[in-house]
Amino acid sequence: MYLNITEVESGVTSLATAFPATSELIDLPEPSVEGRAAHALRIGAAPAGTNDCAVLIGGVHAREWGSCEVLINFAADLLEAHDTGTGLVYGGTSFTRAQVRKILDELEIVVFPLVNPDGRLYSQTVEDLWRKNRNPAQSGGDPKRIGVDINRNYDFLFDFRTAFHPDADVRVSDDPGDLVYQGPSPFSEPETRNVRWLLETYPRARWLVDVHSYSEDMLTVWGDDENQSAHPNQNFLNPDFDHQRGLPGDAYGEYLPKFDADDSIVLAERFCTAVQGVRGRPYTPMSAFHLYPTCGTSDDYAYSRHRVDETKGKILGFTIEWGDRFGGFHPPWQEMSDIILDVDAGLVQFCLTALA
Amino acid sequence: MSSTSQPVLRVRITARDTETLRALLREARPDIGGGPHRADDGTCSIEAYVTGEQAEALEREGVSVTTIENATAAGLARQAEVGEGDRFAPADAVPHGLAVKA
Repeated sequence: MYLNITEVESGVTSLATAFPATSELIDLPEPSVEGRAAHALRIGAAPAGTNDCAVLIGGVHAREWGSCEVLINFAADLLEAHDTGTGLVYGGTSFTRAQVRKILDELEIVVFPLVNPDGRLYSQTVEDLWRKNRNPAQSGGDPKRIGVDINRNYDFLFDFRTAFHPDADVRVSDDPGDLVYQGPSPFSEPETRNVRWLLETYPRARWLVDVHSYSEDMLTVWGDDENQSAHPNQNFLNPDFDHQRGLPGDAYGEYLPKFDADDSIVLAERFCTAVQGVRGRPYTPMSAFHLYPTCGTSDDYAYSRHRVDETKGKILGFTIEWGDRFGGFHPPWQEMSDIILDVDAGLVQFCLTALA
Repeated sequence: MSSTSQPVLRVRITARDTETLRALLREARPDIGGGPHRADDGTCSIEAYVTGEQAEALEREGVSVTTIENATAAGLARQAEVGEGDRFAPADAVPHGLAVKA
């Protein structure tokens, strides 16, 4: 059975209680629009701030239910295996006891499995295809215009009408009635601000992984245009390229230094290899732009921070799109269980690759 | 392009080429699921969630729309697979993860 929102919260809390030496409950500073508290879990045998940190978030888009389960099960697997001194077996992909211990000893992992509790509750009990949060502020009283797409509410190229070419099919909207409504301003939503708070609070964050569905992809930055490593002046901060971004195959490409491009693709490829090893599902590593052009997303925000403010650490951003056409946004639970094994194997390998 | 008064269908939109699909998505802005898939014959397809009426409106020269399932009915079935209460309420209850610990 899928977890309801009470169970996601109590699952996180119970893990923190059961494994006090290797985990810690994190109180997020802001309640959701409807007043629900949010919690994350810090995993690691060393004291907070000792090791580099991977921040994993899920439950951003309300209807992509399994993202929460992917992260709760991932945390539970690591904590239990470390505690009992075992390895982990995910179908045809397995990890040794030493590898589990290495992750817990040398890495800090912050798992925030349910960013958007109000949306998940609405999706699981009323309108299953609901995507956004449940903020009514911009709706004008029309229930069809409620909500902001949390994964368009970050500050990366938020002014899309200026940043993008008019013919770019950038998947965002400034219309509250649209499924990808960005909100009235960057970080207007408490759910988005909670994610920002995590990245600010854990300054050794080096990786952000946002768990979504569906297309069986592991996406790297950037989402606004094709990546290129030859022209540093072609970047999201340069107004000379306003109204040019978002078209494939043209002169503009978003600058990504080669060493970051290489690191990102290695992490994505290793993730996909581990996933495929479980039962053969062929996930594809690629930059987010190749799914469709976007702005205001978590992965681009995470990576762009250090370019906007050089005092901030660099965070490589990723988005997992689990699942295929079989089950859509919330497959039958039996299928979802298999997907959880796939993705969690990929996440364990991601952590090991990050440490390499 | 959303409605809750009629059943929502999960459909596959197949266009004769990428540009035709892009133009359709730009104009109609349907609720899409997953990413576009390009076939060897040059056609390009994507899944969308639309009412029957909206599905008909998507049909045009170079574009076909096939229904995969009644998404409203599927959604109700999935909602029945959501836990009730709190399985982790007992003091000794804790998530165990799905991997084999060995």
